[in-house]
Amino acid sequence: MTGGLQRVASTVLLVVVSFMLTALILWVSGYRVGTVLSGIIQGSITATGAATSTIRWTIPLLLIGLGVVIGFRAGFFNIGGQGQFYVGACSALVVSLGWREGPVPLVIMCGMIAAILAGMAWSLLPGYLRVQFGTDEVLTTLMMSFIGALVLQYLTAGPLRNPSGTGQTAASERIPEAFRITDSSGVSVTALLLVGGVAVLVWLLLERTRFGLTMTLVGRNPTMARWQGIDVRRVGLGTFALSGALSGLAGAVELHGPGARLVTGFSPEVGFTAVVVALVGMLSVWGTVVAAVFFGGLQSAILFLPIVTDLPPPALVLLHGMVAFLVTIKFRAVRRRRAGLAAKPVVG
Amino acid sequence: MTVPSGPASAEVPAVRCRSLGVSFGTVQALHDISLDLAAGRIHALVGQNGAGKTTLAKALGGLQAPDNGTVCIAGNQIPPGDVRAAKSAGLAMVHQHFSLPPSFTVAEALELTAARPESHSVYRRTELYRRWQNEVAEVGGTNVLATRIRDLPVETRQSLEIVRALVSEARILLLDEPTALLTPAATDTLFERLRGLRDDGVTILIVLHKLREVAAVADTVSVLRDGKLVLGPSEISGVSQGQLSDAIVGPAPDADRAIAVEAAANAEQQLLLELVRVSSRESAFEPGLASIDLAVEAREIVGIAGVEGNGQRSLVSVIAGLSAVTEGSVLLGGEEMTSAPPARRRLRGLRLVPFDRNSEGISRSAPLWLNQSALRLIGRRRQFPLISLRQYKRQASEAMDLWQVRYNTVAQPAESLSGGNVQRLVLSRELASGLEVLVAAQPTRGLDFSATNFVRSSLRGLRDAGAGVLLVSSDLDELFELSDRLLVMYGGSIVARFNAPYDRQAVGDAMTGALR
Repeated sequence: MTGGLQRVASTVLLVVVSFMLTALILWVSGYRVGTVLSGIIQGSITATGAATSTIRWTIPLLLIGLGVVIGFRAGFFNIGGQGQFYVGACSALVVSLGWREGPVPLVIMCGMIAAILAGMAWSLLPGYLRVQFGTDEVLTTLMMSFIGALVLQYLTAGPLRNPSGTGQTAASERIPEAFRITDSSGVSVTALLLVGGVAVLVWLLLERTRFGLTMTLVGRNPTMARWQGIDVRRVGLGTFALSGALSGLAGAVELHGPGARLVTGFSPEVGFTAVVVALVGMLSVWGTVVAAVFFGGLQSAILFLPIVTDLPPPALVLLHGMVAFLVTIKFRAVRRRRAGLAAKPVVG
Repeated sequence: MTVPSGPASAEVPAVRCRSLGVSFGTVQALHDISLDLAAGRIHALVGQNGAGKTTLAKALGGLQAPDNGTVCIAGNQIPPGDVRAAKSAGLAMVHQHFSLPPSFTVAEALELTAARPESHSVYRRTELYRRWQNEVAEVGGTNVLATRIRDLPVETRQSLEIVRALVSEARILLLDEPTALLTPAATDTLFERLRGLRDDGVTILIVLHKLREVAAVADTVSVLRDGKLVLGPSEISGVSQGQLSDAIVGPAPDADRAIAVEAAANAEQQLLLELVRVSSRESAFEPGLASIDLAVEAREIVGIAGVEGNGQRSLVSVIAGLSAVTEGSVLLGGEEMTSAPPARRRLRGLRLVPFDRNSEGISRSAPLWLNQSALRLIGRRRQFPLISLRQYKRQASEAMDLWQVRYNTVAQPAESLSGGNVQRLVLSRELASGLEVLVAAQPTRGLDFSATNFVRSSLRGLRDAGAGVLLVSSDLDELFELSDRLLVMYGGSIVARFNAPYDRQAVGDAMTGALR
C-alpha cells in the first residue's frame, strides 16, 4: 500500500508546486501574494456563501470528471465533456420548455434522461469512429466539443432565444421555477444525494462488476483482452456511452439547478477542468471526488477574488493551467515508463 | 572514403570474421564464429529460428557490437558495432522488415539515403525525378518515382530496399530473409537481380529459410545452429539437401526421444476441433491459410511443425476467432463456429496458450488476480451484476497455488513474475474447468528446463484426461515427444502429415519446403 501512499503524496506535491509557481509569477508581477492567498481561502471557504459556491462548482466537475475516469479505465481519453455537458443541458431545456404543464418529478426525470441520451450520443460518435476506424478520440471528442458549444449558441440565439431578454449575451427563457432542484446557489439536498449516488454507482461499476473489470483489462492490454474472448469494440462503445452520459447528466443538473436557463457559453471551462480533476484524482473515483472539491473551491475563488484584490480573473486560471501542465507531464512520464517496459525485448 | 588499393579481391575476402561472439544476458546468441566470404559470390546463410542468423548479419554489418572477435570488410577491420565504418567500407544491409519511410515518395526516400546528396538542400521535384530515374528503371519504371513507399506492392518495396543499398555505393550486400514476404514469382525475380549484381562484382550474403531457395540462388552455403557455425561456407554443389537438413535440425539428443507416446486406447473418439478447407487472408508478416484441413479428437495431441512464419499464427488466430475466415468452416465440438465471436468459442471449451505470453497471454500492469480471473468475465450477462472481489481473489490464489505460481500477493502486477511463472499463470487460467480443446502455441519457448518439463507434462496430463490438444511449436524434439500425430505447415498449407515414429529427416525436409 506504500505505493498508493506515494502516488497520493506525489500528486499533492504537484499541486503545491503549482501553487508556488503561480505565487512566484504573481509576486514577480507585483501582486501581494498574501492577499491573493487569503482571497483564495475566503473565496472558497470562509466568506459568506463561499463554501456553498465551492460545492456548487464541485457538482459539475465531479460528474464530468467521473465520466473521464470511466473513459480512462478502458484506455480512452474522452476530453469532450464540455460539448456533452452543453448538449445535455440543451436537451433538458427542451424537455422543460416543451412540457411546462407536466408533473414535476416526471419532467425533471425526463429532462435528465434526455440529457443523458444526448451526452451519450455526443460521445458515441467519436467512440464509434475510434473502435471502428481507430480515429484518435482526443481529436474527435475535442471537435465534438466545439460543435456542442455552437449548438448551444445557435439554440440560445435562435429558436430558444428569450425574446424579452435584454442582456448582451443571448439567453433562453427560464424554465418554470418548480422544475428546479436547487435555488440559484446551486446546492440542495436533492442535488447532493443525486451526485453522491452517482459517485457510488460509478465506484460500484468500476470496482465491483464484471464490466468494470473487463474495462480495466481492455484499458491495460486490449490484445490480451481479445485473446480472452472479450469484445473490445463493445466495451469501448459502452465506455464512451457511460462517459458521455455523465457529462450530459451534469448539463441537466446545471439547468435544473443553478442555471434555470441557458446562456451562450455558460461555464466555459468546466468540461476541460474536469479532465484535470480526473487526472489529479489519479483516475480513481474517490480521488476524483477530492480533486473536484479542490477545483470547485478554486473556481469559487476565481469569482470571488476581484472583490478583494485588483487581480484579473485569468490570473487564477493560470493556476489551473499550471496544475494541468504538471499533472499531464507526470501522467505521460508514467505511461512512457510503462510503455518502455512493455517494449523491452523478450529473448528467445 | 578510403578503399585500400590492394590486390584484386580474389585474395582478400569481402567479409572476414574471427571468433565472433555475441550474447544477450545469459543467452549466447553467437558462439566463436569464424567465417570468410569470398568476393563476387552469393553466399547463403541458413538455420532454424533463433539459430543466430540475424544476429550474425547484424554483427557483420556493424549494427550489433560483438562481445569478442573481429570483423573485416574488404580488408578493413571494423571497430565493434560501428555502422558507419561498415558502410564506408562498402557494406549495406537490407533488413528483414522494410526500412524506407512509408510516407515518402520513392524519389524522396532515395535522396534521403543516398551516400552523397547534392550539396544544396532545397530541391525541385522534377530535379529529384531526373536524378533517380536510372536507378529505378529496373524496378518498375520512372513513374514509380512519385509513388509513396506505402502504396507500393511488397516485391517493389523489397527491390527498392536493394536499390537503396546500392545507391549508397555498396559493394557488399547483406540481405536478411528477403524472401519471407515474397511470392514465388517475385522471389525468382529477386534472385535474377542478385545474380546480375554478382556478375557485376557485388558480394552478397543472403539469409534464407528454404533449402529450395538456397539451391536456386547461392554459390556457397553456411549453416548456423544454436549460435554455432556447423557447416560451411561450402560450395553449394558439394552439399546434398539431406546434409543441409541434418545440419540445420541437428542430431536427435537421445536415440529414444522420437518415440511417440502410446496412442490412447479409447475407441470412441470424439471430434473436438475441425477445420474444413479453411483459407484466410495473409497478414503483414505471414501468409494466410490455404485450404487447411485439420481435426483434433479427444485424447490426442496433434503437433504442428514448421519454420516460423509459415502460417502458424494465422492458424491459431483463425481458431481463436481473432481473424476472419475467407473460405471453409471451423467447428468446435461439432458445432459450426466459423463466424462465431471469440467469447462463444471460449464458452464452447476452447482454451488458448498464445504465442507471446507477455503481450497476448497476460496484461503486464494488471494485478495477478485479475489476470487469473479474465475468463470469468465473459458470457455471464444474465448473472447478478455485482461480484465479490474477495471471492475472485481467493479463487485466483487457489488456482495459482495449484499451478505452483510463485508470488507474494495476488495484487502484485503480472510483470513482476518470471517467464516460467507467467506461463504457469496462463496455464492456471486456461487449463481450468470447462476445457475441451487446447491450442498451445510455443508453450515452452524461453522457459528453462524445469518449467519446460512442467508444461509438457501438463499437456500430457490434459490429453490423458480426455481433452484434445493442438500443439504449435518450432521445437522438433518437443513435437516428437508429445505429438500423437504431426502436421507440417509450409507457406500457409499443411504439406505433410506424419505418424509416430517420426523420421527426423522427412519432417525436416517438409519444413524447409524440400518436398515441393
